[in-house]
Amino acid sequence: MDNLMSEGLSLMVFGMGFVFVFLTLLVFATGFMSKLVTKFAPEAKPQPAKPQPAVAAAASPGNDELVAVMTAAVHQFRKH
Amino acid sequence: MDKLLDLWLASGIYNVTPGQVFMILIGLLLLFLAIRKNFEPLLLVPIGFGGIMANIPEAGLAMSAVENAIHLGGPEMLQTLSAALNINSADPAVVTHAYHAADAATHTAAVYAANDHGFNNGMLYNFYTVAIASGAAPLLIFMGVGAMTDFGPLLANPKTLFLGAAAQFGIFATVIGAVSLTTLGIMDFTIQDAAAIGIIGGADGPTAIYVASLLAPDLLGAIAVAAYSYMALVPMIQPPIMRALTTEAERKIAMVQLRHISKAEKIMFPIVLLILVALLLPDAAPLLGMFCFGNLMRECGVVDRLSDTAQNALINIVTIFLGLSVGSKLSADKFLDLQTLGILLLGVIAFGIGTACGVLMAKVMNKMAGGNSINPLIGSAGVSAVPMAARVSNKLGLEANSQNFLLMHAMGPNVAGVIGSAVAAGVMIKFVG
Repeated sequence: MDNLMSEGLSLMVFGMGFVFVFLTLLVFATGFMSKLVTKFAPEAKPQPAKPQPAVAAAASPGNDELVAVMTAAVHQFRKH
Repeated sequence: MDKLLDLWLASGIYNVTPGQVFMILIGLLLLFLAIRKNFEPLLLVPIGFGGIMANIPEAGLAMSAVENAIHLGGPEMLQTLSAALNINSADPAVVTHAYHAADAATHTAAVYAANDHGFNNGMLYNFYTVAIASGAAPLLIFMGVGAMTDFGPLLANPKTLFLGAAAQFGIFATVIGAVSLTTLGIMDFTIQDAAAIGIIGGADGPTAIYVASLLAPDLLGAIAVAAYSYMALVPMIQPPIMRALTTEAERKIAMVQLRHISKAEKIMFPIVLLILVALLLPDAAPLLGMFCFGNLMRECGVVDRLSDTAQNALINIVTIFLGLSVGSKLSADKFLDLQTLGILLLGVIAFGIGTACGVLMAKVMNKMAGGNSINPLIGSAGVSAVPMAARVSNKLGLEANSQNFLLMHAMGPNVAGVIGSAVAAGVMIKFVG
């Protein structure tokens, strides 16, 4: 009987301890992973940033006229 | 006239035992709770109906071929079986005991003897063997749950994992409760039984069924019914405990909005978790492996068809078989027992302690973080019961402050609780399995 009780107690101490150790490690692993991802594969910020220079590059040489012509051409093409 | 007598002797009315009548009433009660009170109807309808079918007299739907042969075969069949089992007695109880204690070869010999005389496994027994004894159904459900889980709130605030860990204390405290009852001589639980009962406190149906099927198959019916009933009762069990342990000011704490989580982080998380499980606790690998697999299918975005099947069609199919199989364990000789009462009582204690520990842990974390950034109400969501426990946290937060939306913050500890209870299950299986 006492044996059963001590088995239960050790299960509680080891079990609870292990759950905490595991989840603590998971907290660190997750934090580390998030840092790595935001450093090497950033998604949210650069994505809007990347297309912006591209648009700027296309628009910067002052080709307003060209853009207008192309828009008209596309428009004409779609009509047919 | 003889024919009429045969018909009468084979009828249910003639053969029914009081235990079976009582169990059919319990099945009807489960159906009532599911249909009228909306208690986890997706599970309690199949469980209740399976329980009724398992207790139909003489049909033997929940019995194996040999058990059916012992019950229906008469003296000659018993002689054949006792010869196959290498025992001298042809008493039904002795033969049944020998059958359950037999090694694989003798066991098979008895099964062949029963088959030769035209006895077969009952339908529900076959469902149980395929769905639960093999471990398949709870694991497939876990995959579906993984496919439905969004780890975003957890990744935005990984510290909430501690809340999921603290709430698992209910599991282990209940193990002590079950062991104490045995030491005091009130009940008779082995350490395996105690572990399987404790896992009810994890508030996670598939985990409870998985652990019970490995550690205490005899108690599976009672444990599954307790686990699912208490999950349905979360909105009633938790609020009084949460109110008692928090002050009005703490309940009013508003939490800052969670940061945006990139797709890459969400894809990486199940892989990180799986690697950690592989390194530290291979015994939790079946549960957490399927969970991570389901989640990866959801987040990776290239297998939407599989993810859709896992969280809809497949989980529904598996739920039907799981429910009927659990119902097959609601037979009078195993359920009508003082132990069942003990399991129901210990289960609700496990739940209460888990909730209390989650809330207390959240209070400690709040104090450490300066006292005004973590609302202790989200701690109670550390018991799994997704998403019911998180909704309860949200509801109590809104009661204290009508502008306080805690739902997304509570989802973090909520999914952490799923991971925590699966880890606790792995530890149990490792230590006492």
